This record gives sequence, C-alpha cells and structure tokens, in this order.
Amino acid sequence: MPSKLKNFELSRYSIFIILVVVFVAASFLSPNFLSGDNMFNVLRQVAVITILAYGAMTLIIGGMIDLSAGAVMAFAGVASVIVYKSSNNMLLAVLVGIAVGVACNLVNAFLVATLRTPAFIVTLGMMLMARGAVLELTQGQNVLQLGDFILIGQGNLGWMPIPVLILIVITAVIWYLMNQTRYGRSVYAVGGNEEAARAAGIAVERVKYQAFLVNGVLVGIAGVIFMSRVNAGLPNAGIGYELQAITAPIIGGTSFSGGVGTVFGTLAGALIVGVLGNIMNLVGVGSYIQQIVMGLIIVVAVAYDVFSKRGKAKTTILKSTSKGEPKPPEGKAPATSGASTLEQ
Amino acid sequence: MKNFTRRTFAFSTAAAVAFSLVGCSVTTGNPGSSDTAPREQKDEYRVAYIARAQADSFAAWLADEMQDEAANYEDLKLEVFDGQADDEIENRMIENAIANKFDAIIIQANNADAQIPYIQQAVDAGIVTITTNPRVEGVDGTNSVDANPYDQGAIVAQTALEQIPEGANVVVLNGPAGNFHSTERRNAWEKEFFEKRPDVKIVAEDTANWNKDEALTLMEDWSLANPKIDAIVSVNDNMASGALEAVKGKSGFEGILAYGVDGTPEATLLIQEGKMTATSLQDAGELAQLNMKAVHDLLTGAEEEVNVNVGNPLITKDNAQEYIDLYTEAGLIDN
Repeated sequence: MPSKLKNFELSRYSIFIILVVVFVAASFLSPNFLSGDNMFNVLRQVAVITILAYGAMTLIIGGMIDLSAGAVMAFAGVASVIVYKSSNNMLLAVLVGIAVGVACNLVNAFLVATLRTPAFIVTLGMMLMARGAVLELTQGQNVLQLGDFILIGQGNLGWMPIPVLILIVITAVIWYLMNQTRYGRSVYAVGGNEEAARAAGIAVERVKYQAFLVNGVLVGIAGVIFMSRVNAGLPNAGIGYELQAITAPIIGGTSFSGGVGTVFGTLAGALIVGVLGNIMNLVGVGSYIQQIVMGLIIVVAVAYDVFSKRGKAKTTILKSTSKGEPKPPEGKAPATSGASTLEQ
Repeated sequence: MKNFTRRTFAFSTAAAVAFSLVGCSVTTGNPGSSDTAPREQKDEYRVAYIARAQADSFAAWLADEMQDEAANYEDLKLEVFDGQADDEIENRMIENAIANKFDAIIIQANNADAQIPYIQQAVDAGIVTITTNPRVEGVDGTNSVDANPYDQGAIVAQTALEQIPEGANVVVLNGPAGNFHSTERRNAWEKEFFEKRPDVKIVAEDTANWNKDEALTLMEDWSLANPKIDAIVSVNDNMASGALEAVKGKSGFEGILAYGVDGTPEATLLIQEGKMTATSLQDAGELAQLNMKAVHDLLTGAEEEVNVNVGNPLITKDNAQEYIDLYTEAGLIDN
C-alpha cells in the first residue's frame, strides 16, 4: 500500500515536477526571468488562455469539446467593447460580454445535450457563426478608442495586475465547482461514463448545459480581458485559441476520453506553455523554433503521463476500459476520483 | 477530352482574335467575333471582385471602398466574393466567376503562385482580368492596380534614417512568413536603413503575423530582456501599435520611436498623440478608385492595358490630422 501510494502521488504530481523543472531551467537561462516584472508578465500573458482552458477542461472532462472558443471570445469581447463605447458603463459592458459568451454556449448546449449532435460538429458550426457575426458587426474593422475599458486588461489593483487577479479568482471558483459541488462530481461522472451516470440518477442533459454555461461565462470574461489588454476590439482575434485552450488541460493530464482532469493540472499546463514562450522570447529563440518546442512539449507531456501510469493501470489515457465503471454521484472528491480512475 | 480541347481552342482563338482586334484599335470589323469579344458594349457590366479575406481588416476596408466606388459608375455592377484567406476557396471563386460569365474579374490574390493557373483561365476565357493588392506577375493579358510594398517600407525607412539615434537598439516585427508585402517592406528597411546604419543593432526580431496581440506579447518579453530599446520597426501598423501597448507607461521607454506601414486609423491617432513616429499610407480608397477606373476603361475600350500603382504618402505628426479627418469622415474614427 505505501509503495502504491508513493507511485500514485508521483504520477499525480508529474506535471508539477515538469513545471518546476521548466521554471528552474528558465531561471538559469535568463537573469530577467525571475524578476517580479517578468513573473507578472507571464501571468498576464497566460491569463486569457488559462481562463479559456478551464472552460475547455470542464467540457473535455464532461466528454465534450468546444472548437468555438476563439471565435466566441472575439464576438463577446468586441460586443463588450462596443457596448462600453456607447454606454461608458464598465459593468454593463462586462455583462454583455459574458452574455454573448453564454448565449453562444447555450446554443451549443441545446444542440449537444438536447438534440444529441456531436459537440465537435456543433462547436465547429458555432466557430463559423460567431466569427461571421463579429465580422458583420464590425464590417471587419478594428474598434478603436476604448478609453478606460483598458483597465481590466492593463490596470493594477495595488501591485497586482487586474487580469492576474481575475485569473486567481476564477481558478478558485472553478476548483470549488469541480471539487466541492454536486455539479463538479456530475461532470466527471458524465464524462467517465454517460450511461452509467444516467443509471446512477444524474440528469446528464442538465449537467451538459451547466458545463457549457460555465464555459460561456469563461469565454465571455476572456474576451473582455483580451480586448482590454490589446486596447482594441479586434474581430479577427483569437484565431486558433480554441486549440491553445485545449493544449493546457491536455498537457495537464486531462483525458480526451473524458472523466479525468484537474484544475491545477490545467493551470500547470498553461504555465508550462506560458513560461516556455516567455523564456524563448527572453533569450531570442525565433517563433519557428518555438512552435517545434511547443509541439514537442505536448507530445512528451502526454506520452510521459500515459507511460508513467502504465503498468499500474490497464487503463489508457485514451478510450479507456474504465467506461464500464460507473462513478457514484456522491463519491469521493472528484479530483482524486478522476486521478484514481487511471490508477485502478 | 477532345471536346475540352476543342472548346479551349475555340475560346483561345476567340480571345486571340478579340485581343488582336482591340490591340489594333479596330472597333468594327469581323462580325464573327463580336459575340465572344470581351469588350462588347453593354449597358451594364458585371464585375466580380474576389477579396482575399473579409476577416482581414485591410481587405475588408478595400472591399467596402470597392463597393462604394463602383456605385459611382452607372454601368458597373460589382459583386464581392470572399476568398477566406484560403487558396482553394479563392481559386474556386475565380472558377465560379468565369463560369458565371462575368465581364470582368478583379482578383486580390491570397497567394499569387496558387492563383496563377486560375487567373490564366480567366484571361483565356476573354474576361477582363485585374490583379490588385498584390499584383500578380507572370500571366500575359492581365492588368494590375497595386501599391508597391518596397516603396511603402522605403519611405518610412528613409525618414527613420535621420531620426533613430546613433548606436540605437531596435526591435523588428515581421508579417507572416512568405508574405510578399511583408518581405518587400522588410527588404526596403534592410536596403534603405540597416545597410546604411551599421551602428544600429537589432536586439530582437520575429514575426507577429500582422497581429496586435502577438506583437504585444513579444514586446512585453523583449522589453524585459533589453532594457534599452530605442525604436520599434514594424512592417505594419497593427504590430507597431501592439508593441507600443507593451511599453506604455513603462519607465525607460518614454521616448521610444515606432514605425509602421499601412496608415491605419489607429496609427494616425497614435502619431497625432506623439506615441508613434511614422507610417506610410496604403490607401484602400485610392486602390478602389483606380481599380474601378481601370475596369471601366478596359471594358469600354478606353484602355487596352492598365498597370498602375497608388501613391504611398508618408504620415508623420505634421500631417496626421489630415488623415484623421479623412477617417473621421469615413466613420472609422470617433469625433
């Protein structure tokens, strides 16, 4: 038992070990890396993607996916900018951004949960619709002269950059939702085995709606922060962000087959990507090489994750044999239960 | 196959006859060619404009200007198609326009090499064909309206020659790899500035794919690694403004110079505020005017071949207000 526990702990924390290694290596590569300015730099840079990544993680754990995140983020952000410019009301602007994110995601949820259309196809369609909508809204032009709207993306509260503060709050909220609520446990259960979850009395459709709702709120907030950070309403923003948003949870151990994944794993995944991008910029590595490194990291991280769990578990990270194992809705804490699915 | 060959032959013969007729300025004559001749007089000419991508803010602006300008010609009916920054879609749009027997096709190539065979098909079909922004070389019988990207970069680089201080550190932001406009603008900076100023050091250079957010992230990191950066050299305004966003209010970067190309509304505002130094205008309005004039002249037979460039005026603090007024009038800048 103790050795099993030890193995379990090691593999569970492997992503954090990788993060620490990357962090230490980076601090040796550039004297600027560990400066306070740069730490906030990295956090500001990863804030938008990490917030999107929490949404992607939620959906992937629940056995779904969102390919529309980048386009909906642009739509929400630009709508928010336009509302701010005409009303000068920050709260209203933020709420409109969130509302656009939620509305698009409720359409996704209706098609996925109620009409049982595959999420991949539905969100691919939404990606095109949202992008078309934001381009039509702006006629393809950048929206300028944002005034105080930029505070959300560029401002500080004391010494703390506001996007970083928002990221911390969101991390706490998502952690709470996934680990301490019936909703969170249900998402894991639905993603782990939908039929078993249904048999165990979970309202599967409602859980899917809730997961898309959470994703919508996150995508809306990400859009507001993004536009504020770049000081413009960019209708072509976020192209490819849906894939970057998926990268962080996947590096962080979220299983594409659903039912497995943790908030801190996702955060670590996003930080690994962010720190690598940052250190390569600091030491002057070009963007072509950066892409190669990022690709390698994704492959190596996931391969390592699978490899380190093999032997102890017959379960693979992809289509798993754990499908047959129903998870009770009122089981143990889902982060543990998620990880332990792989261990058994 | 035989049919196809015969049809192609018939088309090219008709086209050849038509061109030779016009080439000789003969407006009447062989009645047999009149039904296939591209310059047949009509009350209304149908013109297809195949835009590179409506999602690209410059391309979208150009498409709007094209439509506005076409409205000034009673005998031109312009239809705009979106190539969606995809060669396959762009080529399909050209094929469709040929099949739908438009009188003229204006093509804003996504990737010149990929579009050449289709541009050739349009020419072979006897359709008036214009390439614009960028000009596509290598197909006989086409016309072109473009800005010269080398000149656009050069005029800004020449201005910078006197402004960037001795021994300066600069950063360079490039457009997407292999993009003609990006490469030519960068070449202009190399020849007109960096070769003449060996004292200036490039401390960082990378592509930000024309994007403001990517340039912002790069500059956040570069400004930490290099506490002394005297100038931002960018091959478009979007990236220059993104880089400026990164050093806004940052101590040590107050007097940083910043150069772009395009003359976007945002750049004119930044120049007016003294935050950006200079850019050169790529005027979508003028491109559209010249395109519509060219297509009208070619269709009515007033011209046989048109290859023109728009100007690339330099915008600095001295004349920024002029352009801000223009943009305000166009509704792109708030009062």
